[in-house]
Amino acid sequence: MSALTALAQLRAIRDGIAQPITTVRHCHLAPHPMVFIPLRLAGEAAAPMGAMVGTDPGHPRLLVVPQPRNRDLRFAFTAELAEVVLPYIEGFGKTTETIEKKGGEPYERCLDAPQILVPNPQAVTFVGLLGRSTRFRRVDGPYPVHPSVPLLGRWLTYFADRSQHPGSSLLLTATEALGAHWATGQSGLEDANLAALLGWIDPPEGMTGPGAAEEAEDPLLWPPAGPATDPGFDNEVLGPAVRAYEEAPTERAVERVAQALRTQLEPTWRLMWRSVELLRALPEGARVKDRWDVDRGSFTRFLERVTEGGPPQARRDGAVGAAARLAGLERARASYDVQRAYDDPLVMAEYRLTGEAFAGTVTAADPEHTEGEGRSRKLRPLITVRTEDQVRLTPGATVGSPDRRGHAAEIVEVVDGEVTLKITKGMGRGRTPSPGSVPEPGERVTYTSLTDDFQSSAALPDPELTPWTHGGPPQEYVPSDEDAQEEWS
Amino acid sequence: MSESLDALERRITGLRAEVRRAVKARENSLARSLRGDLRRAEKAWDEAISAEEPVPASHEPEPSLLPIREQVHQALALLGVPAAARLVVAVNDAFFSRALRGPQLTSLRRDEERSFRSDPYARPYYLCAALTDRLSPARGLLADSTWEPERRVLGPLSPRVDFLTSTMRVAEHLTRLPDPSPAALRLLSRMAQNIPGAVESFAPADPAIAIRAARAELEVHHAADTRQRAEVAARASSQLSDVERLFGAATMSTLRGAC
Amino acid sequence: MNGRLDELRGPVPSHPHDARAIAALAANPGCARRALLDAAGVDKDRTARHVGFPAPFGQSQFAITRGNVFEALVKENGCAELLRLLRELLGLPVSEVGYQDVENVGAHLRHSHTRALIDRAARESEETAVFYDHPLFSLEIAGHTSYLEPDVVAFQLGGRFHIVEIKSFGVIDGQAEPQKVAGAARQAAVYVLALRTLLAELGHDPERVSHDVVLVCPENFANRPTATLVDVRKQLAVLRRQLARMTRVDRLLEGIPEGLTFDLAPDRDGVPTRSAQELAEALCQVPARYAPDCLSTCDMCMFCRDEARGNGSTDLLGRQVRDELGGVSGMAEALGLAEGTLEPAEGQEEVARLLRTANLLREECLR
Ligand code: SF4
Repeated sequence: MSALTALAQLRAIRDGIAQPITTVRHCHLAPHPMVFIPLRLAGEAAAPMGAMVGTDPGHPRLLVVPQPRNRDLRFAFTAELAEVVLPYIEGFGKTTETIEKKGGEPYERCLDAPQILVPNPQAVTFVGLLGRSTRFRRVDGPYPVHPSVPLLGRWLTYFADRSQHPGSSLLLTATEALGAHWATGQSGLEDANLAALLGWIDPPEGMTGPGAAEEAEDPLLWPPAGPATDPGFDNEVLGPAVRAYEEAPTERAVERVAQALRTQLEPTWRLMWRSVELLRALPEGARVKDRWDVDRGSFTRFLERVTEGGPPQARRDGAVGAAARLAGLERARASYDVQRAYDDPLVMAEYRLTGEAFAGTVTAADPEHTEGEGRSRKLRPLITVRTEDQVRLTPGATVGSPDRRGHAAEIVEVVDGEVTLKITKGMGRGRTPSPGSVPEPGERVTYTSLTDDFQSSAALPDPELTPWTHGGPPQEYVPSDEDAQEEWS
Repeated sequence: MSESLDALERRITGLRAEVRRAVKARENSLARSLRGDLRRAEKAWDEAISAEEPVPASHEPEPSLLPIREQVHQALALLGVPAAARLVVAVNDAFFSRALRGPQLTSLRRDEERSFRSDPYARPYYLCAALTDRLSPARGLLADSTWEPERRVLGPLSPRVDFLTSTMRVAEHLTRLPDPSPAALRLLSRMAQNIPGAVESFAPADPAIAIRAARAELEVHHAADTRQRAEVAARASSQLSDVERLFGAATMSTLRGAC
Repeated sequence: MNGRLDELRGPVPSHPHDARAIAALAANPGCARRALLDAAGVDKDRTARHVGFPAPFGQSQFAITRGNVFEALVKENGCAELLRLLRELLGLPVSEVGYQDVENVGAHLRHSHTRALIDRAARESEETAVFYDHPLFSLEIAGHTSYLEPDVVAFQLGGRFHIVEIKSFGVIDGQAEPQKVAGAARQAAVYVLALRTLLAELGHDPERVSHDVVLVCPENFANRPTATLVDVRKQLAVLRRQLARMTRVDRLLEGIPEGLTFDLAPDRDGVPTRSAQELAEALCQVPARYAPDCLSTCDMCMFCRDEARGNGSTDLLGRQVRDELGGVSGMAEALGLAEGTLEPAEGQEEVARLLRTANLLREECLR
């Protein structure tokens, strides 16, 4: 939240339609993402009631659990879900590229990776719990399941974990993705309703944003996007249908539950694909691809781990694992913020407002300026930038610029809207700067103290070296019989 | 029939559109009444589609030839102490017909009381209440009228004592069976889990160990419970009428007697 | 003062508050409308419905069934499951197993029977039990008695009373949904307060009721219960503060016009005859303080949101937005300052400059 976004919200109210808060798209959008809309039985943590899933807007697959309290039906649902999801995921493992890493072993990376879209963060939680409740199941023993069930469980766990990683696009939620690009005239709490959010962004013909949003709050017109269902629907439609199935588990009874769930899922299915269209219409930010590369790498490593027969993810991280994970998330968060600012002048504007960045026009340049004598003589071009922004940077501060990759400079002086900078990086190795590396008078430039070179890894010990005060080195996680036989009611 | 389904579907679509229009026009009360119509139409659709179904063959387990009261009696005899409907059903599931359902037991005590009132002691036994220390019927518990009075009254320790006793009885019964059902083993495990030392975590319960552990805890409560029960039973026999001794006294100003 | 409150409510009995409602009293302490409606015991749900803004709250039968089944499981066989949990959690000795079902005396005597049993336990006389099932407490809210039904009260001989709260949301690998735990803690705090009040009335030390409540939830995906102690001291402090405010309701009454009432004027069948328009106007006479949080805590939320929209208040968007706008409360005002169509008032220059810059930056970037 920033003053700019707050202002955009006020405008949204005045104009009756959502306002953009970015100029580019900051998430990756796959050519064929998989949309997954799960519904959960009210009152249960992870009992699936049904789902709509697929990669083709015209052909959703409807999965139904006619009696969600029945564990066999629940596992049958998971197996059916696996039939849809696993081939989609595994399809990306077929084509890989070899990446040569400086000072490291070359490694393989999948050319593309799967992308799953769900309506909202609650759906991500549900994906995680469904993964947790299935990944330890066994194909033999007291409650055997189909082999695809634990495998799907591991993948769902992976996707849910990965979605906590800022900037990752492997599992996206529609409400967050849309909310990152548009400001509406309602509060964040109300934005959590996908139909209302889309109402503001893309109201139907002849309607205003607020009008569409208000209509969207009526669960009869726009059923909730899950995983929670409308209590009215539960009591009046679903309840009787499930009871009918209990009394007589016939095809017709299943069809009746399916029909009921279809009415709840179809509107959201359409909203999901409408969200995809809206996001796709935005030009992609320059660094989105870099982040997707990281996602592809992560996906490839997990795929390898699964293929090599590694154990399912542990129930809980060990002490060092948890700390490393947190540190990793923090780094990713910081880096994601910086990258967005570099990719998007409207995001950068937030930093200009706080004085951590400024934009202006070059008024003077001394591209061949040097410092030092003899062997330590260095090329240090000077430029002067005239800006209207309130600059809160002090001499000596290192700054970067979104206009040139690898470019760095140091603030020399700030006087009356004139900033003098000394360029320190990105001019090439010659005695004169390589062409285009020093801004010329008249050019419009942006500089900021935000930079994306974070220490690669905080000083955490390897998991093997966990101090005994933190529980000692973790045991490799071996799921026990207890995990596999965990009661499921 | 399917024609009316089609008609209903058309009506539902039409109503949806009307609700939408009314909401848009901010005609709140119209929207509300239309929504009611919509719900009703959806309900009618639900009913119509269910009515089309042929009534399927029942998937229930073989109905028992015994009347319900006798099945309950059978379970109570096994347990030997007053028990809640849930436990009676679980015991029936584990050892007997598997045909008993919780809801069938709700009016049992009332029916038995009516029968006793109209023709006292006509039956060899009645399924009656357990009495609290206020001599009122304990909620939800069933007992056997042929048991001695001390067994049919409760002190504060009695729920625990009876739980331990019934666990022992279930375990003993299990040891007598050549091939106990999985449901029976599950029942014992579930009960034994709540008794210290009666079960090793996650392993199925061993009847002998369960009996030993239950008996050990029972030792702790036994004397006090027996004393308290004897006191309540004495009060019951001196203060209550025949029917009250079996079905409990109404607490002051309860309306129970009236209905 | 009570006369005035009765007048506000009209000739119907005061609407009883359950623990959840009492816990929610602390949700928006700054709102005079809510404080007054609650103090007068007005049925907010019906009121909101009557003015055409029903609250969007409902509960699914699936969730209700699930809750009941789990509670029954925890309590069956004289609370056998709960006993196992408390033996682990509180180190109860094996000899302490007593169980009393307060409800055995019949509904109308539950309250007095609860008092008698709690009193007996506090004196630690014979026949003290560990479990008091289905107890019924009362708590005075602004002059009206509300009756409260905690799941179970546990008492440890020589020790303390614990409120036991049974909830059917899952604890998975040691984690539960934080909002649900917070909700349970707020609710349990109400019971702690009620039991402490009862002990004080009986002449016992109220501190014998522990501020650690026992929260019982299903573990992982099974039905097997697990128990944890939850410290509700903070929730208790918030609750006390809000209840104290409500007794100072006289100050709120000062500002409102003579003859104001929220009476629905129900006819013989209980159907309201008061004109909705008139009732809405009456409600608007008492200032509200709408915030998006109201949408999950107050039955009046849809009505107040509509009103806030009409007023063009930045409260609609939430506290955070208002902070970003430098505390400016009117939307038109904030926009006017940003676009330079409005001259900043004294002391507003800094905010105006910020908004103006923000606006220019937006325009520059979206050109
Ligand atoms: S909804 Fe209205 S009455 Fe309720 S707390 Fe919010 S502002 Fe006050």
